[in-house]
Amino acid sequence: MASVSLEGLTKSYGNGVLKAVNDLNLEIEDGEFVVLVGPSGCGKSTALRMIAGLEEISDGGVWIGDQFVNDVHPKDRDVAMVFQNYALYPHMTVFDNIAFALQIAGMPRDEIRRRVEDAARTLELTDYLKRRPGQLSGGQRQRVAMGRAIVRQPAVFLMDEPLSNLDAKLRVQMRAEISKLQRRLGVTTIYVTHDQVEAMTMGDRVALLRDGNLQQVAPPSVMYDEPANMFVAAFLGSPSMNLLWGELGEVSASGTTLKLGGQTLLLTTEKIAGLRRLGAYANRAVVVGIRPEDIYPAADRPGATSKIRSNIDLVEALGSDKVLHFSIDARQALVKSSDSLDELNHGEAGKAHCVARLNARTPLRMGDDVDLVFDTDRLHFFDGETGEAIR
Amino acid sequence: MVTDRRLDSRSLAAHRRTRKLRRNLRGIGLHAILIVLLIAMLYPVIWMVLSSLRPEDEIFGGLGLIPKSWTIENYVKGWQLSGNPTFAAFFINSFIISALAVVGNLISCSMAGYAFARLHFPFKWLWFALMLGTIMLPIHAQMIPQYIFFLKIGWVNTILPLVVPKFLATDAFYIFLMVQFMRSLPAELEQAAVLDGASYWQRYWRIILPLTMPALVTTAVFTFIHTYNDFLGQLIYLTDVKSMTVPVALRLFLDPSGGQSSVGGLFAMVVLSIAPVLGFFLASQRLLTKGIATQGFK
Amino acid sequence: MSEVETSVARPKPVRVRPPPNTSRSSLSRMENRAAYWFLLPWLAGFFFITVVPMLASAYLSFTDYRVLKPPQWVGLQNYVAMTHDRRLFVSVGVTLRYVLISVPLVLIFSLAVAALLNRGLKGLAIYRSLFYVPSLIGASVGIGMLWREVFGARGIFNSFLALFGIKGAGWMSSPGTALYTVIGLNVWTFGAAMVIFLAALRQIPESYYEAASLDGANALQKFRRITLPLLTPVIFFNLVLNTIGAFQSFTQAFVVSGGTGGPVDSTLLYTIYLYQRAFQHLEMGYASAMAWVLLATIAAFTALLFWSSRFWVFYGD
Ligand SMILES: Nc1ncnc2c1ncn2[C@@H]1O[C@H](COP(=O)(O)OP(=O)(O)O)[C@@H](O)[C@H]1O
Ligand SMILES: [Mg+2]
Repeated sequence: MASVSLEGLTKSYGNGVLKAVNDLNLEIEDGEFVVLVGPSGCGKSTALRMIAGLEEISDGGVWIGDQFVNDVHPKDRDVAMVFQNYALYPHMTVFDNIAFALQIAGMPRDEIRRRVEDAARTLELTDYLKRRPGQLSGGQRQRVAMGRAIVRQPAVFLMDEPLSNLDAKLRVQMRAEISKLQRRLGVTTIYVTHDQVEAMTMGDRVALLRDGNLQQVAPPSVMYDEPANMFVAAFLGSPSMNLLWGELGEVSASGTTLKLGGQTLLLTTEKIAGLRRLGAYANRAVVVGIRPEDIYPAADRPGATSKIRSNIDLVEALGSDKVLHFSIDARQALVKSSDSLDELNHGEAGKAHCVARLNARTPLRMGDDVDLVFDTDRLHFFDGETGEAIR
Repeated sequence: MVTDRRLDSRSLAAHRRTRKLRRNLRGIGLHAILIVLLIAMLYPVIWMVLSSLRPEDEIFGGLGLIPKSWTIENYVKGWQLSGNPTFAAFFINSFIISALAVVGNLISCSMAGYAFARLHFPFKWLWFALMLGTIMLPIHAQMIPQYIFFLKIGWVNTILPLVVPKFLATDAFYIFLMVQFMRSLPAELEQAAVLDGASYWQRYWRIILPLTMPALVTTAVFTFIHTYNDFLGQLIYLTDVKSMTVPVALRLFLDPSGGQSSVGGLFAMVVLSIAPVLGFFLASQRLLTKGIATQGFK
Repeated sequence: MSEVETSVARPKPVRVRPPPNTSRSSLSRMENRAAYWFLLPWLAGFFFITVVPMLASAYLSFTDYRVLKPPQWVGLQNYVAMTHDRRLFVSVGVTLRYVLISVPLVLIFSLAVAALLNRGLKGLAIYRSLFYVPSLIGASVGIGMLWREVFGARGIFNSFLALFGIKGAGWMSSPGTALYTVIGLNVWTFGAAMVIFLAALRQIPESYYEAASLDGANALQKFRRITLPLLTPVIFFNLVLNTIGAFQSFTQAFVVSGGTGGPVDSTLLYTIYLYQRAFQHLEMGYASAMAWVLLATIAAFTALLFWSSRFWVFYGD
């Protein structure tokens, strides 16, 4: 078992025109479960494959334990990988698939048998050892792929979207199983996914990539509550965070005002106190973020001072909650998964589309007029130009 | 005028019948054309098979297929045409050459195919283009110096000139076949094997080759048929009666004067000579279609 | 042991970053080496079975070489001699007739039968195999020997004609018809081309025909306006393949004529004449020159076909 360090890890294609991974720095501790997440095409697989040694490293370095492995052959890096399509050897039985690495290493037969049977028991594959991958269900194939990784007892697990070929139910189940297994074995794991739910639920820490650039590394709850920038804020959470242009008033001892289009919210001193740099934005435009679950009907919050009046465009009843779509008189701030933040400035004035997640029993219907309350203690502020969080 | 628009089930059924009949008639017409054509094409072969089982003097009695009396005398006569060696020796020679050619092509062409399909190396595109170029190359320009060379090193009247080149992947078409097939296998399979510690040889031998089975079977079948049927090479290199193969030996039935020594014996040996080809083809058809390679992926 | 296990954090190892791109060279050099090992048999064959003999035969074509004595440089003499060689001209004429008649016939038969088979018939697989049988055995000596009997004076072909009251001659022994029996044997093996056509036909989406039906096209129009244009790449493929093959055709004419190319040189294909000069007369220099002329002719025909394909082969999207 070992730590993994990435220093300035870079992969360029086309003579540096495209940087699939750009200057990635990441320290992963021994036994840690780190999820590498980001929209598809952001360079997650490329980064993982550089760690495995399947992809040449354009610049920077990879350390596994104390060993500098840029020059080390993949097989000598002591890593095991689970591929998105599992890459099971179709012509071999499940037993041989799991045993292959051990056979190659020339391990004695008894030892191989013992290890494979152990792994199979762990993964509940004992009854399927004689079958071929073609005769297994999707979930069973996934388990075989896991078995192939754990039987080697490697220093590091690398997993590239291992659950994305499964149907939704199975994915939830395997998610939990992989987490449990990793905790039990304590093997350092780097897990790539584009699914934010996997990122939030599985990792000790989450690293979010965008166009090859690392955006933030943090434990899931920290990343959710304190996103480093608008991109992170918008990527995590479903439905995603509402982002609106607003204008801060003069910051005084009693607090400050925040104008969202025609409406004005009052921010208390306690809230501002936590955000030291907010003072610099007095009388300036900022991007305000609020998560759907931090919006309430005014009826539920009798004490609230600043209400926002709106008309309901659509109600989606999900059973567990109700998702409310409404428009408010403000300018929307948009984040696109591309390099420039130019789109930020092009929100249509006067009509911003917002989403709130409410209690399922809220008796609201499409077309109703409604007063809503934004929980001002849970607002997020971002610099309109750089997209960075203001704290 | 008011027409009754209720469906008349009896006239509908009649309508359905005529349509079905017309479709069937068209089908029957097509089948008839194809069957007549097939009979015309295969008649001589069928006639030969049955003629080989009738007495010599009955053979040219007309178009009839069924012999008046059955005999295997032609097979006995044909088999011992040249006294010693008999056709047993010729068949053994043919089979040895064909079998070795199959082994040679399978090994050498799959190795080259693996390099072209899945490894990176300098000037790959150039080598590949040269390889493709040799597929269409007529052998006549190489044939003469090859013959002189093999003559000088004493390989004439041995099987070596016919077999050794197969171990050097000179049938480039099969390389191309393997490349096409191996390219279609997912890259992750080999990457998984790399992480499992497999060497290049193990990747080729234990992962890629088993999955290339359909292309290997195709190569084996066609190499066998082509080598077994090949005439020019065997005509040049195998002149001694003892080293002769079946195709070369069949010409012994030709009288120098231009006639035939024994048509019955000839037919019997021709039947025996084409039987392995047809057998190999029939036996491999099931294998050819089995295609195990697609099983592990969805 | 216990001394070492202090609670002090282990100092971070010193990380020396090596110069960039060392990984590229060492790993890919390994792969290069492996690749050339795998290519070794082919490379050896390519050089020693193909390239060197080709160069040698190019050299021999400028020499007088009769195996027993070393080759003597004679410059262009072999090539000049070819322009006076009457039998050579005969063989060129026979070969051209053979190629220009049999190749189109093979294509027409194979396409026609493939089109018939593609009409949703039952038993397609069986038909396909049966039509393919002649291609499996057609190149063999045995079938050549059979052909002699079938088209001999007392053969079953004449028995068949007798049913209609026609009295046939010895098709093999008359110079006027001998070549056509050999051509017939080549056409007989149209199954290989048919299999390729059939595979291509089954790739054409049914929806094209459905759309054409709605546009009011009849079966013939559909074949001419949809099937043929979409098949041109495969027609071209079969045309090139069969042309190159026909130029090199040897066995059947050789066997049917008993190795002579007769009667009266009427089946004397170029390859048979080449064989006679090389391996019966042992004129290796002259035969090498002939081989290079054959090579050049095939190359020229292939180039011509490729050039013409620009005008009639339709490559979709
Ligand atoms: N061989 C290649 N050549 C050029 N670009 C590539 C290559 N492989 C990947 N890329 C690009 O690198 C980027 C990152 O790819 P990848 O790591 O596969 O993304 P993902 O995060 O979805 O796993 C993508 O934009 C992709 O187009
Ligand atoms: Mg990916």
